Amino acid sequence: MKSKYHIIIIGCGFAGLAAADILTRYDLDILIIDENPRLGGQLLRKISTLKQTKKKFELDPIKKIGFELARSIAGQNIDILYTTQVLGLFPDHRILMVDHSEKIVECQGDFIICATGAREKYLPFKGWTIPGVMSTGAAQILMKSSGILPAKTTLVGGTGPLQLALAASILQNRGRVSAVLDQQNFKDKFDIFNLWRHNVPRIIEGAIYLSRLFLQGTPIKQRTGIVEAIGRNQLEEVVTAQLDNQGGVIQGTERIYNTQALAIGYGFTPNIELPVQAGCDIKFDKKKGGWIVCVNGDTMETSLSAFFAVGEITGIAGAKKSYIEGRIAAWSILNQMGLVNGSKNKANLRLLYFQRQHQIEYGAFLNAMCNVSDSAYQSIDGDTIICRCEEITMGDIRKTITDGFLTVNSIKKTTRCGMGLCQGRICGPVLFDILSAITHEHPGQIGEPSVRSPIKTVPLGAFLRANNKNEMK
Amino acid sequence: MSDLRIPFIKRGKKINVYINDRKTLAYEGETVHAVLLASGYRVLRKTEKMNQLRGIFCGMGICYECLVSINDKPYQRACMRQVERNMKIDIHDILGP
Repeated sequence: MKSKYHIIIIGCGFAGLAAADILTRYDLDILIIDENPRLGGQLLRKISTLKQTKKKFELDPIKKIGFELARSIAGQNIDILYTTQVLGLFPDHRILMVDHSEKIVECQGDFIICATGAREKYLPFKGWTIPGVMSTGAAQILMKSSGILPAKTTLVGGTGPLQLALAASILQNRGRVSAVLDQQNFKDKFDIFNLWRHNVPRIIEGAIYLSRLFLQGTPIKQRTGIVEAIGRNQLEEVVTAQLDNQGGVIQGTERIYNTQALAIGYGFTPNIELPVQAGCDIKFDKKKGGWIVCVNGDTMETSLSAFFAVGEITGIAGAKKSYIEGRIAAWSILNQMGLVNGSKNKANLRLLYFQRQHQIEYGAFLNAMCNVSDSAYQSIDGDTIICRCEEITMGDIRKTITDGFLTVNSIKKTTRCGMGLCQGRICGPVLFDILSAITHEHPGQIGEPSVRSPIKTVPLGAFLRANNKNEMK
Repeated sequence: MSDLRIPFIKRGKKINVYINDRKTLAYEGETVHAVLLASGYRVLRKTEKMNQLRGIFCGMGICYECLVSINDKPYQRACMRQVERNMKIDIHDILGP
């Protein structure tokens, strides 16, 4: 571990790996920082001891490319900090972080590539905090990383294509799925049909999932939402209901499922905390999944010089866009360093630029599939917890809005919504969508996210130990 | 072996971990939160204000709902750690499997 690097890559999912793949071909000091104990991010997960016995047919080779990259980068002679959290970026590209042993570490990079990915978004309902209610990602990760089913029988709900993928993989792993509930319906999807041409393999994949569910007799319920999750100590029952075309509950259509696990997800939102703390320009773009980092599309450089943003944080669109953007950033950096031939590089970048546009269109389709209506946010029950950490309810939020607090930040300061352990990572986007649904104000009016260092929780002891060490020197 | 473990997957070495001092079977490569779930521990903590029960939620280190004590270090995210031989995992608040 050095104190200074040519390039520091923060987050090593698809985008980070793609950048590392190119940069490691040159004689450069590179540091990769990831908060997970392995490379590959959220998509490239598989049980570490699993040996693939038979060759699986892959419709889309992108995952295979990813796994190969993760293996080759992890084996390279470069510095990789696993299980390490970045706490902030400071002037001169100095990075503060806390490592796996809760030790504070500092280093500096000439170029920074930020590839911090995305997380899921939620539509809160009564009882969504009960143990057994989990994100679709959590259910998928349990199976992929540890080979463990979320429960014997799982109910799957929310919006978007991930629901089908999750249900299909539960069945493939010999679990049971009581039903797949989709907040939207086929007609809503039909309206975004014109975007389908942008990713034919994905659609075929969806059709395969559907046919697998069909063969197992799993009910798929369109325009069906979750009213309430019930359980004394853990999840026992889920009340669902059909929704009208505004997304409101149709009284009398309620139905109860007995289940120990409910997996939910309502699309994705970019993890922009570090770029925001660092001072990068951001903008709101619903088609791209919410607040995103502004970049120059030719280079992936942000408004801060030599600070690059790649992958989901520049707009939700999946692995291919991340892969392309990681490569664009790598070539741009090599160009700035004078390590590549200018004209050849230009041709490279031009091709990637067009590929990127194509994936951005696909992203618009993906995000539209995950859309939740304004009325669904407006009609959240008053007893529903919005901020899980600070236990702030929809009733508290509504009252605060009625009192005239109309921005995310003023509501945060009044109620503490978003000031708990997760620092608003779960409820922040929810609060934003609630405010937007109720006030119909412009996103900029509701408020840009504000983030300060440390951007993740860190034990005070870590700072104390760091101080003591300095005194001893 | 719990029936939540998917049957046909080849797993790592068998190891023991101690959940609230109870000797529990796990496999190398599994995460702490997955071992807890497979061993029947769905409730992982109690909230401070309302005493609500919480368990696995995001599964990827974002929500801080799965905080347990690992090797006597409190407030560790169970989803972000892999189990190790003889690891001591403690659920602070309650409720066995």
